[in-house]
Amino acid sequence: MEKTKSSKTKNEKITFEDSLKKLEEIAEKLENGELGLESSINEFENGIKLAKFCHEKLEEAERKIEILQKGDSGKVKKKEIKVKEDTGELMDDEEMQGSLL
Amino acid sequence: MIINNILEPKVFSVSEITRKLKSTIERNPEFTGIWLKGEIYNLTVHSSGHIYFTLKDENAVISVVFFKNANRHLKIKLEDGMSVLVFGNITFFDKRGSYQINISQLQLEGIGELQKRIEQLKAKLIKEGIFDADRKKRIPFLPKRIGVVTSPTGAAIRDIIKVALRRYPNIEIILAPAKVQGDDAPETIVRGIKELNKPEMKIDIIIAGRGGGSFEDLMPFNEEEVVMAFYTSEVPIISAVGHEIDKPLCDFAADLAAPTPSAAAEIAVPEKMDLANEINYYFSRIKNALFSYLRECNTRYENIINKRILKDPLEIIYNKELILTDIENRLVSQMKDMINNYRNRLLQIPDINILIKNILNKKSHEYNLHLNSIEQLSPLSVLKRGYSIALDGGRGVIKSIKDVNVNDKIDLQLIDGILHCTLDSIEKGGIIGKNKKQ
Repeated sequence: MEKTKSSKTKNEKITFEDSLKKLEEIAEKLENGELGLESSINEFENGIKLAKFCHEKLEEAERKIEILQKGDSGKVKKKEIKVKEDTGELMDDEEMQGSLL
Repeated sequence: MIINNILEPKVFSVSEITRKLKSTIERNPEFTGIWLKGEIYNLTVHSSGHIYFTLKDENAVISVVFFKNANRHLKIKLEDGMSVLVFGNITFFDKRGSYQINISQLQLEGIGELQKRIEQLKAKLIKEGIFDADRKKRIPFLPKRIGVVTSPTGAAIRDIIKVALRRYPNIEIILAPAKVQGDDAPETIVRGIKELNKPEMKIDIIIAGRGGGSFEDLMPFNEEEVVMAFYTSEVPIISAVGHEIDKPLCDFAADLAAPTPSAAAEIAVPEKMDLANEINYYFSRIKNALFSYLRECNTRYENIINKRILKDPLEIIYNKELILTDIENRLVSQMKDMINNYRNRLLQIPDINILIKNILNKKSHEYNLHLNSIEQLSPLSVLKRGYSIALDGGRGVIKSIKDVNVNDKIDLQLIDGILHCTLDSIEKGGIIGKNKKQ
């Protein structure tokens, strides 16, 4: 059985991980002090953009816990599960039921 | 009569033969790592924790020793008459001259069949390359949405949610509920994985598994359809089956295998705080590096810009001007001095008019003196003094008496006229001293 090794194509050209790596590279470049003034300022600006991008990426997820359920029509729908803010415990155990079949 | 060459039989000692037996048995790969099937008989559970029994079938028996550190995983209570499968090595106990099997695993026989099935499936899948390492996908670094396939009522999902939210408070989790034990379980697990693979679900990582359980409990995760579901999952999938000894086959087909659901959550979900701190760490390094570089540039700039020549480039000219002015002043001053000097010297020179006057006066005086002298010598002055000039007829001066005779007519010039005289007589000497020679 052939399996195509496909990675999920993301819309963003650069990933969080790459950005973080780039940020470290910029820090090292600036600390080496071998760039000229203009390049240093450029890299600094890049650094600002990357840091901002990274922080934004961290905030992208929306803290939703959901369970898939089989609807009447046979379609699968999501139902939100409420979770306690501090402990991450389920508020209502009853909500978690069933299977997809 | 045929004479047979009979070799001298070797005579062994008991120890020697025992040693040989031991070596033969224990080094033989056929007797190591083997499974045995039989019935438990004469079970003894020692206070030390070691378990001893005899394994028998219709025709033979073998002693079994199941040491404490090997049997601590044993979950079932052993009883005489149980049909079991044991796994271990045959060992030879020299002191007693007996052999036994030293086992590390024991299972109820029913499980043996399952075991076999699993082994066969495993071999088949290995052959097909299903477990190949290079077919595994990389687990994404920062997932936004985690999909979980597990029982909605079990501890696994609760643990996963707790761990995930603790590490990353705003992560999204979608649970595809499934049965995780029983014959109808595999179908639900496969359905769950397929559902989470749908593009509209936008799942970044799937965690599929369950909490710990007995060997039979975990069977669904050894079924071929489940293993293949793990393998064909386009979304990176982490196997999270809590197992004691034997890894379920899905562990090998998954992109990553975790020992427990909580561990899977820890692998899949990064610590948001750590990441945020890391971002800030790099950024503050960047900031500090730039600012210190800017400070350095600024210092260099200040050092240059503050050089006098740049602050006040005209200063050179001013300086030169000062020097010039100074020289000028000195020049003027010296000139003035010189002029004063000369003037003073000039002033000291007596007035030439006066000088001339003086000279003239002097000369005049001298002249007058001379004039006086001359005048004095002049006959006129002589005449003035009463002398007279005796003149002869030719108007020559008569200087001596010898020049005249009596009765000569002479003239006597007086200051104011002439006297016409005739000589009466001549007297030698006269008023002038008689002693004087003429």
